[in-house]
Amino acid sequence: MTTISVADLRVSYGKRVVLDDLAIELGVGVHGLLGPNGAGKTTLMRVLATVLRPDRGEVRLLGHRTDDRVGVRQARRRLGYLPQAFGFYPRFTVREFVEYFAWLREMPAARIPLAVDRAIERVGLLDRADDRMKHLSGGMLRRAGIAQAIVNDPRVLLLDEPTAGLDPEQRVEFRTLLRELGLDAVVLVSTHLVEDVAAACARVSLVDDGRLVFAGRPEELIAAGGDGDSGDSPIERGYTAVLRGARQVSR
Amino acid sequence: MTGEHVSAQVLAAYAEERLTDGDAESVEAHLDSCDACRAGLAPSEAVRRVVAGVALALDDRLSTPGRVRPATGWRRVRVLVGAAPAVRAAWLLSVLVTGLLTLGLAVSPRMLPPWVLLLVAPALPVVGTALSYGPRTDPLHEVVAGTPQGGLRIVLWRTLAVLTVAMPAVVLAAVVTGISTPLMWMLPGAALTAGTLALGSLIEPTYAAAVVAGAWALVVLVPPVAGSAVVAASAPVWLAVTGVAVVVLYARRERVGRQAG
Repeated sequence: MTTISVADLRVSYGKRVVLDDLAIELGVGVHGLLGPNGAGKTTLMRVLATVLRPDRGEVRLLGHRTDDRVGVRQARRRLGYLPQAFGFYPRFTVREFVEYFAWLREMPAARIPLAVDRAIERVGLLDRADDRMKHLSGGMLRRAGIAQAIVNDPRVLLLDEPTAGLDPEQRVEFRTLLRELGLDAVVLVSTHLVEDVAAACARVSLVDDGRLVFAGRPEELIAAGGDGDSGDSPIERGYTAVLRGARQVSR
Repeated sequence: MTGEHVSAQVLAAYAEERLTDGDAESVEAHLDSCDACRAGLAPSEAVRRVVAGVALALDDRLSTPGRVRPATGWRRVRVLVGAAPAVRAAWLLSVLVTGLLTLGLAVSPRMLPPWVLLLVAPALPVVGTALSYGPRTDPLHEVVAGTPQGGLRIVLWRTLAVLTVAMPAVVLAAVVTGISTPLMWMLPGAALTAGTLALGSLIEPTYAAAVVAGAWALVVLVPPVAGSAVVAASAPVWLAVTGVAVVVLYARRERVGRQAG
């Protein structure tokens, strides 16, 4: 079943067009969103998170149109979002931080205490749950951010560069968590680390210069690469090959 | 077995492991895709006792769930109102500023004329409101904006937090200066706050506050209105301003606190 559906999307900041004529359909599972810096990944994430209004186009989350006031509120209840850069309230403990977002996402009150602790446990921060946010390391902050995004058991989970600041061991644990979450939710992970995608994602979308230039399975991306393409791994060679191909066509 | 459900007898036989391997496999294949039949697979009394026993044994060894606060209505209000630290900063600001000015006025009325308080006090909630939301001042603005309680709802919660502290300060200022009545001071305070929220749906909240505060300064300082007349006989004007601001706020409610940053 398609749970994210985007058609004819156009977003511009002033005169600069960031996303143009973009269409994408995503179903349950872990999806990787790849692309060079400045390709429009974060902008697409912000549109899907209902934070940024597109100039044009139709965005449907879980069947609700995001330009419909009632529908968007319903969708937001089942939405989890971790932006690339996020701040925190320094005096909040991890538990208060996650609880805050449980309330903001209008979870049933009876479920909140348990859901908060479960989310913190899933990111491996339960032993630091009562520490203030300002005393956490960068990797722990990122994990607290993931905890707030999953507290409401989202059906649509948007993670923008979630592995930034995580050490290799934590990244492996995070991929396991991703696969778990992807069993019954649409999980869209934006990253510029191609290896993350190969390890955890069932499908990959590649954005370049505001356009969707590839959508398929990681194996298909790998198959697109040849020995002549630059990159340290098969999937990196596939990535550069697809990008090069897309840029030749647009010229 | 597609399309058909497993009968109660077969389910019971499966649960008690009386089926052959082949039959058990096809039952399992069906159970994988059928909620109704899975629900019908009630654990036997023996299994129930084992589960209860394990739960009891684990209970002591599992880490306690920490200080999970009961999710009451009061807790909800506390979390939503008190969350943004900028709100607390705004509280402190209004208490401090009014306190200092009041003190200054009490010590030497000539050094600090009453109109200074008139200029500052009703603008306090404006500053507080602008500080409490928006991409510039709320570090979590981006995440909050994508939640169902984000936007106008959370902005109103925070405005409520600011007003509960700023309004007593306004009343105190009115009493100390002796210009008009405290109620007549609260009206422009409310109008300016509503104006900031309404304008904040069009432009960045901090800019909105600057515009509103600037307009207020003009009204207070520049003739023909100037001075105490601002609060003396102007109730209809301030009510009208509040009304217009509320209408604008309602019409643009989807944009409040969700500006593309």
